[in-house]
Amino acid sequence: MTTMTDVTTVEHGPQTGAVKLTMLIAGAVFLLMMIFGLAMRAAQGALVEIEPGLFYQLMTVHGAGMVGTAGLSGATILWYFTGRHVPLIAGVFHAFLALFLLGVVLILGAIFLGGYAGAWTFLYPLPAFSAGQWEAGAAVTFLLGYTSIGVGFLLLHLEVMRKLIAAYGGIGGAMAWPVAFGRGDPKDAPPPGVVAAMASSIFNTIGIVIGAAVLVASIVNLAFPGFAVDALLAKNMIFFFGHVFINAAIYMAVIAVYEIVPDYTGKPWKCSRAFALSWTVVLFFVMAVYPHHLLQDVAMPGWALAMGQIVSYFSGIPLIAVTAFSLLVYLRGANGMRWDLATGLLVLGVAGWTAGSAPAILDGMIVVNKVMHNTQWVPGHFHTYLILGEVAMAFGFMAWLTRREGETLRGPVATVFWAYVLGGAGFVLMFLVSGALSVPRRWAVHLPEWHLQAQIATAFAALVVLAVTAFVLRYVARLGRG
Amino acid sequence: MQLIVLAISLVAMALIAFTFLSAARAATLPAVVPRTDPEARRRRVILGLAALGVIVTLLSLRPWPHTIPGTAAVVNVSGGQFYWEIDTDTVPLGEPVAFHAHTVDVTHGFGVMDPAGTILFQTQAMPGYVNQVSHTFETPGTYRVVCLEYCGIAHHDMLNEFTVAAR
Repeated sequence: MTTMTDVTTVEHGPQTGAVKLTMLIAGAVFLLMMIFGLAMRAAQGALVEIEPGLFYQLMTVHGAGMVGTAGLSGATILWYFTGRHVPLIAGVFHAFLALFLLGVVLILGAIFLGGYAGAWTFLYPLPAFSAGQWEAGAAVTFLLGYTSIGVGFLLLHLEVMRKLIAAYGGIGGAMAWPVAFGRGDPKDAPPPGVVAAMASSIFNTIGIVIGAAVLVASIVNLAFPGFAVDALLAKNMIFFFGHVFINAAIYMAVIAVYEIVPDYTGKPWKCSRAFALSWTVVLFFVMAVYPHHLLQDVAMPGWALAMGQIVSYFSGIPLIAVTAFSLLVYLRGANGMRWDLATGLLVLGVAGWTAGSAPAILDGMIVVNKVMHNTQWVPGHFHTYLILGEVAMAFGFMAWLTRREGETLRGPVATVFWAYVLGGAGFVLMFLVSGALSVPRRWAVHLPEWHLQAQIATAFAALVVLAVTAFVLRYVARLGRG
Repeated sequence: MQLIVLAISLVAMALIAFTFLSAARAATLPAVVPRTDPEARRRRVILGLAALGVIVTLLSLRPWPHTIPGTAAVVNVSGGQFYWEIDTDTVPLGEPVAFHAHTVDVTHGFGVMDPAGTILFQTQAMPGYVNQVSHTFETPGTYRVVCLEYCGIAHHDMLNEFTVAAR
């Protein structure tokens, strides 16, 4: 067995070419999904006309595409930096990417050829109740697309966990438990990226397995309608899977912050006791918090709903007091740090993620949820920690992969960066304002009194789309030049 | 309540943004030795957030938000693609009303808006379950029922209304 001190840190992660290609795919899909999002907000603002059937198809592909691509980019970041510390099998990443692309083809076919519009959450039994919009085969194809993507993620996580367990002496070693709970010396602890990779892989694996179970149950229900599932159980499983998966995407992406930002601040990101403890807390909180999606399901046990609210609040503490706090300390301790697009976007990612936790925590309170749940407040908070969080980190990683020596965040690239920040902030602000004004989410047609917010949001969304187009083109141009 | 929640969120988000912008600017300057130990500050942040969490939890969960008064008048609501059936068109003013929501097909979100269009409460209408939500209406008028859980092609058209009036 290799001890943690024997692990060699190599300059470049493995499969850099495949990683760069995957991030190109992720960037392009993000852009396409944002264009769909822009179209939906424009339709809600009565600026364009999209008939409801198509609107809900776009909504379904936007949700599935964004969540899937957040997962894809996060997992690619995890893979790349884990490969700095342990050797990983290239074939596993290739299989992961191939299964992801197969899933994308199935999902796109189900939606645009089969008419499936059951939302990315496939809330049981909606896939089987299309009101004439799609056949059972389209719903099955959509669910098989998820299954394919899920199998790819399982392969990737199993390979990562297998290697980390072998290299760091078990799960506890890779999670830095000797430092968290014993007398372990932080100097001997695994790098922060390893701890994050181990924790994320554990909870995402568990989430995907639960997701696979409800996917299979839904597929069987579509094939044999007499086979019924308890709707509340299915909802628990779906939201456990969905919550864990999208959170895993963010927790995996933050590995880029741990690994890249120290190169700029000159301060190594340390695996302190607080850091090790926080990741163990995160490991359990990410899985325990999902009932905050079911706060209006009063058939749930009261203790589960109370737990959802309480864990929702306390989940913010590891984020605010450890990751965000440490980043702020490292930035303040830097000596004449040079900013470039990569660091700008990575730090923005942590800031946006932290800021998004405020409206999320408030919505996780039962009394607030009773009037805010499923209003536009909900996309308001999750777009905050996606547009200004995970997606920013993903584009920051892409900018870092194609960085040039000595370049700074000035000139046109700074304009694009601030356009992204302004567009993203304005866009999510309009969601939050609309949510506070009781505008429901997921409505293809809005009342006239709600049009103005959607129109303003459309302008901000256009700004984001322009900025992201520039990010992607810059990445492609730099890949082309080598 | 919604506007208070919005205000709290925006203040917190602005504070976080200011903190990051300030640190980002400081990063470009020559390093300075912090006046207080960062780990001591971190402990204070954790303790402060934890204490606030305990207070907010106690205040917001007592009394239990989903309590249904035993004396509430019962109104049965049934959801289906894409309609709401309500067993009365008038509900009483100034006394608790318990809505019993269920569905005949997929999950719907039973939400009620006041005459000004503000959501007052909601609950999920889920296959196989009857979910209850209670409210005391303080203002007479026409209240709109909407669907707040995506349920298919005409989700946004799943509307109904009832009148609140004194007995």
